[in-house]
Amino acid sequence: MSTTAPSNSAERAAQATGRTPGQPYRLSDTGLIDRSRLLSFEFDGKRYTGFRGDTLASALLAAGVRLVGRSFKYHRPRGILTAGSEEPNALVELRSRARREANTRATVAELFEGLNARSQNRWPSLAFDVGAINSIFSPLFVAGFYYKTFMWPASMWEKLYEPVIRRAAGLGRASTEPDPDSYEKAHAYCDVLIVGGGAAGLIAALVAGRSGARVILCDEDFLLGGRLNGDQREIDGRSGSAWARSVESELVCLPDIRILRRTTVFGAYDDGRSGQRTFGAVERVSDHLPVPLPHQPRERLWKIIARRTVLAAGAIERPIVFGGNDRPGVMMASAVRTYVNRFGVAPGGRVALFTTCDDGWKTAFDLAKSRVSVEAVVDARDETSPILLAQAKAIGVRALCGAHVVDVHGVRGLTGITVRDRDGRLSKLPADTLAVSGGWNPSVALSTHLGGRTRWSDVISAFVAGDPPRGMTVVGAAGGSFSLADALREGSAAGSEAAEAAGFTVPAPQQWRTDDEFTGVTPLWYVKESRSKAFVDFQHDVTREDVALAAREGFRSVELLKRYTTLGMATDQGKTSNVNGHAIMAALTERAIPELGTTTSRPPYTPVALGAFAGHHRGKHFKPTRHTASHGWAQAHGAAFVEAGQWLRAQWFAAPGEKDWLETVSREVKAVRSSVGVCDVSTLGKIDIQGPDAGLFLDRVYVNLFSTLPVGKVRYGLMLREDGLVMDDGTTARLEIDHYLMSTTTANAAKVMQHLEHARQVLWPELDVQIVAVTEQWAQYAVAGPHSRRLLERLLGDVVDVSNTAFPYLACAKFSWHEVPTRLFRISFSGELAYELAVPARYGDAAIRAIMAAGEVLGVIPYGTEALGVMRIEKGHVAGNELNGTTTADDLGLGRMMSKKKDFIGRVLAGRPGLTDPNRAVLVGVKPVDLASRLYAGAHFLTAGTQATLENDQGYITSVAFSPMLGHWIGLGLLTRGPQRFGERIRAHSPLRGGDVDVEVVSPVFFDADGTRLKD
Amino acid sequence: MNVVSMTHQTFTPKVPFGGLPIVSATGRGVIATDRDGLGMATVLVRKDRTTVLSQRVRDLFDIDLPKGPRHVSEGDVAFAGTGPEAWLAMRERGGNSFAASLRDSLGNLASVADQSDGYAVLRLTGPKLLDTFAKIIPIDVHPRAFRSGEVASTVAAHIGVTLWRLNDSGEGSPVFEVALFRSLAASFWHALSEAAAEFGFLVADSSGRDR
Repeated sequence: MSTTAPSNSAERAAQATGRTPGQPYRLSDTGLIDRSRLLSFEFDGKRYTGFRGDTLASALLAAGVRLVGRSFKYHRPRGILTAGSEEPNALVELRSRARREANTRATVAELFEGLNARSQNRWPSLAFDVGAINSIFSPLFVAGFYYKTFMWPASMWEKLYEPVIRRAAGLGRASTEPDPDSYEKAHAYCDVLIVGGGAAGLIAALVAGRSGARVILCDEDFLLGGRLNGDQREIDGRSGSAWARSVESELVCLPDIRILRRTTVFGAYDDGRSGQRTFGAVERVSDHLPVPLPHQPRERLWKIIARRTVLAAGAIERPIVFGGNDRPGVMMASAVRTYVNRFGVAPGGRVALFTTCDDGWKTAFDLAKSRVSVEAVVDARDETSPILLAQAKAIGVRALCGAHVVDVHGVRGLTGITVRDRDGRLSKLPADTLAVSGGWNPSVALSTHLGGRTRWSDVISAFVAGDPPRGMTVVGAAGGSFSLADALREGSAAGSEAAEAAGFTVPAPQQWRTDDEFTGVTPLWYVKESRSKAFVDFQHDVTREDVALAAREGFRSVELLKRYTTLGMATDQGKTSNVNGHAIMAALTERAIPELGTTTSRPPYTPVALGAFAGHHRGKHFKPTRHTASHGWAQAHGAAFVEAGQWLRAQWFAAPGEKDWLETVSREVKAVRSSVGVCDVSTLGKIDIQGPDAGLFLDRVYVNLFSTLPVGKVRYGLMLREDGLVMDDGTTARLEIDHYLMSTTTANAAKVMQHLEHARQVLWPELDVQIVAVTEQWAQYAVAGPHSRRLLERLLGDVVDVSNTAFPYLACAKFSWHEVPTRLFRISFSGELAYELAVPARYGDAAIRAIMAAGEVLGVIPYGTEALGVMRIEKGHVAGNELNGTTTADDLGLGRMMSKKKDFIGRVLAGRPGLTDPNRAVLVGVKPVDLASRLYAGAHFLTAGTQATLENDQGYITSVAFSPMLGHWIGLGLLTRGPQRFGERIRAHSPLRGGDVDVEVVSPVFFDADGTRLKD
Repeated sequence: MNVVSMTHQTFTPKVPFGGLPIVSATGRGVIATDRDGLGMATVLVRKDRTTVLSQRVRDLFDIDLPKGPRHVSEGDVAFAGTGPEAWLAMRERGGNSFAASLRDSLGNLASVADQSDGYAVLRLTGPKLLDTFAKIIPIDVHPRAFRSGEVASTVAAHIGVTLWRLNDSGEGSPVFEVALFRSLAASFWHALSEAAAEFGFLVADSSGRDR
């Protein structure tokens, strides 16, 4: 047992007296809480106790805590208004440090041992809040005050106004530490999704589930039953909550049903296949625990794909707008019933009721049954059912019909109310709690997320679903049918219909007997006699007067009203305020409510933590990572890695004592150019192309010829996009007469594969050619440098003859080595004598070790992508920086490769005037005039003596490197009429990175211009 | 120069899922077996040769080449339909030589490419396998929607995968094989083991025994 919980003797004493110490408002005999499990918790630093099954709100009320927060704008004292997820007032900060969670609704926060919560938006304390001065200046803070007050000077906005406003207004503080918990995502498919686990939802699940259909039942509460738990109802002679338990116990035994408790279906999304529809739901797996259990996520985001949906989300009780209706102690009548019946808590000692509907009276009767004193029922309607009046009389409850509550008394909590009777007489009644019922608004948000509209019902004076999406049935209170009998009937019918639509046979429907009830309502949108502030939107502090101001200033449509006053824009999305606000606007502008309409609700229905949308894809796991076969070896040999798309490639291998990467990379380059080095080139795309028409196919995708390539040879190829610009380059080997192997750049591997598939399937389906990606099959290593042949001789021995005669430049071969199929290509990116050796990936680790062992006496070194890049720049080979989607073959100096003898993709559009303009920027090399200067990629070329303006732009530097062979920086770039300007001195202008450098235009080939090294 | 000793070193292959960490609750919710050594090859039929190829495959392996996304096996050979006129052929412990022999025996009826190393394959089973799949795979794997012998190409935690369902285990648990590009093995393993952790995730050796 926790050290903070009272001792067993204390508990025993409490049970003996029927009262729990420290919980003066806990009733002794009602509730669905576990009185054997006492839990201690803290609120604003003070210790309290509650029971398992409590929410933070019910436990606070049991302890007599009624003031729990301060309002957003005016810092008014606020209490607990509701008992559900629609709560606008009782927002607290839960937990601490990295787990600190702002704006948690106390009404849905399940109590756990050691829970720690704090009130928000107050300083220095909840009881005395300096910010409440905003209330005195409230005329300044009316709707639209940002727009009116902080107009001038504009420069003050960021520096002064915004920070001050943000500090004064606003709610909780988010934690700045990384979230220590995990989140996950899950997919679920079902025949029938049921949203809401009240009477209608439970029966729909039971009927559909019994048929064998796959059913998912989601309920946002931790206890199934909905209003059955909060009300005293009877079904077939059993209490409503007992009936709910019995249905639940049958449901859990059905084979294909998934019950998701603590799960909010927050959005309806697009159609899936065959009429399936997608819903988003969030399951609060561990929010009710101090910390998640091992291997459990904090929350789980469900993507639910359902063939049919039953929306049984219930309804939300409507407040009434009257003076002081936000005072702690003013609560929804249904919430009062829930606290009494479900949690065994009396929200106060002396309760008054203000209602415009029959349902509100139930609260008075339930309170009386629990021996809580009921001061009076104020019914705003002129006519009240005589049966209700008789019932009230029988239990001695005073009824005031045709009367209104016009004001409240008490500062931080209610002490009394002022009632205006039907003759206009005012009287003051003592009360510490006022239960309010203005009727019910069906929860139809999910029916409107896909563009469905709502429809005004005069019968229930509320909006109902107008045109729910295909496949969705709205039942029970969500459908505007507020009686229990209707909920059961509609839920059963919808469950049966949904299962049948999915192809299941449903047994004949069962009948249920319920107790009688009254559901009459006559709406009262606001009490016009009230003088003090009357709140419409509690969470955003929008008053009736703000709505009136919006009407006076012409912001009369619901959408303008919303944006001008922020009505309905808080975290509760107007669940308790929108309809009242719209109705008041309708009345003020003398329009009917349906004429005015209502705003559109969008996902999410209730706030969802962003972590749930990310799931496990956080940090390094944001996207998958691809490792080459030599990754482990490279890691062990000190490689620094660079991301190339999803691949991790060794960037360089620092040796001990090297002071920076430049020193490392220069050493690697020099070693390759003087001895031999090895580089993992497995990430380059490899596409296997086979079939009798493979050569013809390649002729059409490359600008140059491949059908003429002899078997056992490799050729460099260039391919264009349809628009004539260069797409990619690489080498393609002919392994057999009908078998080619294409290589692509790492970056374009997938794009080229797609391009070839399109060509094969769509452009030329008549060709007999088959292609498949084999990038992953082969681990491939470039062995480069003057000693590379000697290394291969040592490595391969007599398996293959690698002499210059037997295996000249651009030869390729396949053979068996160590009983492993192996391929060898004599190709070079570095400009050195070089080979690429490929083995099946599982042998890639063994191969790199074998290469290094064979080369040890030759001084072989591993080199990374950075040295590879330096060497290709020294050789003037183009790469991604130049193949950037804006260059033509001519721009890259490769125009001569374009065959005149054949057609190929991009040929026609490459002849467009824009692409053949002689003034186009063409590949050149540049070197700084002052050889000590550094070059920067991205610097723009300017003719000497011209201003740095757009009109004078002559091109730009695409790639730079420090050349260890030349001892200075070199660059490749695209320069207008570049090749005609060798020897010209121009400016490389880089205002972002240090101004101008004078450069000389040179050939892009800086090293071994005649290419003797690679053909040795 | 000691050429002989260099070329006769033994070449040790690496298993794709070897040495990857497991952080899991205890239990047998999901059991994984690395199918390293499985010979795999893509078989893409040459133009207008489907009928002849089907006959050849029937003669060679007693297998009716599946027409859709289905997995058919006989003895130690299996074919899985992965696209229009495209299959993944597999042979138990076939290694790289399977593709070579298949290429020889199918001749000009199909283009064959070795993928034994390109794909990493896991066999997965256990009472909580479908609940684990729900967290990483977006498709419906309910027994009524994804039957034994069916194949799908989809994504698992942003990783492209091809999976097929085999007959249920003796204990009545579903059995799937999942193939993915070898370079992504560690990322897939991470996603799978995180998803299975709450149910208990463990690795069995290639004979199916717990390791």
